[in-house]
Amino acid sequence: MNLSLALPLLLVVPLLGVVAIALGAAPRKTALWASWINLIPGFLVSGVVLRQGEILYGPEVTNLREVFPVQFRLGLDGLSLPLLWLTLVVTVAAIGVARADVKRAKEYFLCLLLVGVGGLGAFLSVDLFYFFSFHEVVLIPSFLLIGIWGQGDRTGAAWRMTLYLVLGSLVLLVGLIGLVWAVPETARTLDWRVLTETFRAQPIPATQQTWLAILLLVGFGTLVSLVPFHSWAPGGYASAPAPAAMLHAGVLKKFGIYGLLRLALPLTPLGWKEVSWIVGLMLAGNLLYLGLASLAQRDFRWLLGFSSAMHMGTIFLGLIGGTVLGLGGALVLMVGHGLSAALGFAVAGEVGQRAGTTWMQDLGGLAKKTPKLWFYLMIAGMASIGLPGLANFAGEILIFFGAWSAHPFLVAIAAWGVVLSSVAMLRAIRSIATGPISSALEAKQTGDLTGIREVWPFALLTALLFLVGLVPNLILGPARPVLERLLQP
Amino acid sequence: MTRWICPEVLLVLTGVTLILADALIPAGKKGWLPRLAILLSSVLFGITVWQSGQPMLEAWGNLFINDGLSSVFKPFFVLCLVGVTLISVRYPMGREETVRAEFLALPFFSTAGLCLLASARDFLAIFVALELVAISLYLLAAFHRTRVASLEAGMKLLVMGGLSTGFLVMGIAWLYAATGSTEFTRIILEQAGRPASPGLLLAIGLILTGLAFKIAAVPFHAWAPDVYEGAPTPITAFLAIASKAAGFVLLLRIFGFGAFALDSVGWIFRPIFLTMGIATVTLGTLAALPQRNLKRYLAYSGIAHAGYMLLALGTLGESGMGTVVGYLWAYLLATFPVFIFVQELERVHGSADVRHLDGLGQRDPGPALGLTLCFLSMAGLPPLLGFSAKLSIFTTLWSAGEIPGLVVGVIMAVVGLGFYLVPIRAMYWEREPDVVPAQRFPSFLVWILLLAGAAQLILGFQPRPLVRLVERSLAPTVTGIPQEK
Repeated sequence: MNLSLALPLLLVVPLLGVVAIALGAAPRKTALWASWINLIPGFLVSGVVLRQGEILYGPEVTNLREVFPVQFRLGLDGLSLPLLWLTLVVTVAAIGVARADVKRAKEYFLCLLLVGVGGLGAFLSVDLFYFFSFHEVVLIPSFLLIGIWGQGDRTGAAWRMTLYLVLGSLVLLVGLIGLVWAVPETARTLDWRVLTETFRAQPIPATQQTWLAILLLVGFGTLVSLVPFHSWAPGGYASAPAPAAMLHAGVLKKFGIYGLLRLALPLTPLGWKEVSWIVGLMLAGNLLYLGLASLAQRDFRWLLGFSSAMHMGTIFLGLIGGTVLGLGGALVLMVGHGLSAALGFAVAGEVGQRAGTTWMQDLGGLAKKTPKLWFYLMIAGMASIGLPGLANFAGEILIFFGAWSAHPFLVAIAAWGVVLSSVAMLRAIRSIATGPISSALEAKQTGDLTGIREVWPFALLTALLFLVGLVPNLILGPARPVLERLLQP
Repeated sequence: MTRWICPEVLLVLTGVTLILADALIPAGKKGWLPRLAILLSSVLFGITVWQSGQPMLEAWGNLFINDGLSSVFKPFFVLCLVGVTLISVRYPMGREETVRAEFLALPFFSTAGLCLLASARDFLAIFVALELVAISLYLLAAFHRTRVASLEAGMKLLVMGGLSTGFLVMGIAWLYAATGSTEFTRIILEQAGRPASPGLLLAIGLILTGLAFKIAAVPFHAWAPDVYEGAPTPITAFLAIASKAAGFVLLLRIFGFGAFALDSVGWIFRPIFLTMGIATVTLGTLAALPQRNLKRYLAYSGIAHAGYMLLALGTLGESGMGTVVGYLWAYLLATFPVFIFVQELERVHGSADVRHLDGLGQRDPGPALGLTLCFLSMAGLPPLLGFSAKLSIFTTLWSAGEIPGLVVGVIMAVVGLGFYLVPIRAMYWEREPDVVPAQRFPSFLVWILLLAGAAQLILGFQPRPLVRLVERSLAPTVTGIPQEK
């Protein structure tokens, strides 16, 4: 049996779920089944990647002398493998957290599944056309998710986020066009694997590389909420319903970093070096400015939004460190942050459901009233501030070591970033969890998470946070050869 | 013999047949006339597609030619005709019900003109064909005599159309004066390798002005929204798609494929095209934002699309030409279904206000989904067809080094998404409809919209068929002179 068929299967299974829901199947159950079943092809392809290093699906790469040389091709290697699993797991957890009794449940679960498909497709695509398209597919479902099922200033947040992301994507698109156009016509293709080889043999001229790197940085940077292109993120996450925020902050944000790893670093190495001081400034902005801003937040969702955008700074530090260690750390932190952000938003969603508010001053006594929820709140908070044993710590420490020789000053700033995020998160936990039980929690008929049916999404994310934190080699092992190749001149 | 079975002849014959049939059959039995019109137009579409596969053919002493461009656009125009006929039969005519046969027959003549236009390679032939198109459209726009808006639309179209024709005729006259001919081949043979004379430049400038009216490019766009709003919806669709495409076909023929793709002319008109394109995209997009009437909204959206195509055209290269061809097809496939919907919306609600879309996502999920896909395709969001079209515009601009055009295009694409999301938001956001209509949408509409949406998705994901079409249009032999660049 040809296992490479499992790659398109990863996209087909959730799409079948979408069709089934559209035709009237029970929304939550179908979505949940589809996302669980999708783990099976996930395991299959992972086996192949672990054994052979990569797996590909699609027609042979040919130089199409066509107006529009697009070929549908999928691929997976050690770099995209952890992100594939991040997507699969967060999708399962997000749908697990989503309530079946939400209004217009059909469209709700349909949109959630589509967001997941977009993430999967983007991480699996080898052809730049589909790579870009799959990410864009997500915009409309998330526009609707925030607009219809969101809270707070949902209309404003939905518009802002969608238009901002489209602007970023189009800048990115121009960058991609530039990349493809830098290839001589005899070898023109949209396959980034081929492009990598081509440019390795025959690099792009240095000035052009700089321009392309800037376009890619601004484009992908907007998607990752790099300062000053971040303002869509905190509000968007705060207004999104919990499952949408989990998918967006947990998975989709990683697309930008993945793109930079895949394209900017290997294809425009000189340009990336040239612009790395700009990246340094921007990431310092993320760490300090957004760190301070997160201190000022009074709403737990907004706090999570800011802190999630802030941690992108640390990941970028890994990207400009120029060492395999730093890149590996960035990869681990991407996964760790994805899991912890998802857990954080899931908890915030539950708290919001129970108390009717996420204003921290109106909350209190969560630890007494709902101990299980409090436990997962602690895990999410501790992971996010980088407690050893959890995934984020492994990532951060690798990044700090990896970037030390090139950017000691930025590492110092990142350490301050850790302090800021600790202060913000601990204050939040104090005001939510400790003290007397608040009137908001008291008044409502609020139980704890009950039974395995409600707990499992949280437990799943927690278990993985520990797993990655204790054995980061699960990620680093398969990724190492790919990352080393990225840095080879 | 087969040369007489060409779409143009058959279209005229069909039109005459419809009018005669209306005159000859007794009053009580005219019910099947609309069905006959739909049937005949569909058959004609089949014949046109079949014909376009035939070998190249010149006719009437070099006035007309069947080349790649015409073989791609004749099916385009006849497909528009099928759509127009399909919704014309459902257009509520009120007191003018007695003249429905003419309402159905006139688009056939207009389409015949369009097909001639696609083949014409002499400015006289172009002029005659264009008048055939335009005069039928003046009549059709004002057809609803009892509605003031329709009369106003007809009047505006007549005045503006007359003005544009004036420019065109003046241009042709100057052209004849400057070159001694009106035939593409002669002109290009004579002018190749020579600096362009001021007379020739003036002539081309005047012709360009005339055509800019047709495609509603800034600053000759002002007629479009009013006329689109007032004209009967089938005619609006015809104006917005077929008539606009005709303008572009002529621009392609004149500036792209040989005839005036002379360096001596191109260096002057390239910046003009690009400036016009930038202005058109910007104005179309920004002016669309506050629109609340779907027909006006589509008019401005059409202006913006024309701007994108002008930008691509302005690069005056082969890839720009191909891009325009592909973009027009994408525009047709995304816009026509929306017009079909708009007419049904008018039937059910009495007007084409965006407000009537409120809550459609819950009332009628099928049409809502199809409409959403069409709007998103117009906005150029992947993986829909419109994205491939916009992508090739951006690629063309990048490869031609037209960075200002590219920057404006990108920014306006973002703003454009903003206004294409307005109806989507209306359909899905939780707003209850102010009036729930008594009638429901007919089931054929549901299927057409779903089919159109599926086409956007499928062609967007696998644009190969469209690429083939574009490649075919790029293999023209208008003049026998090798392409420049």
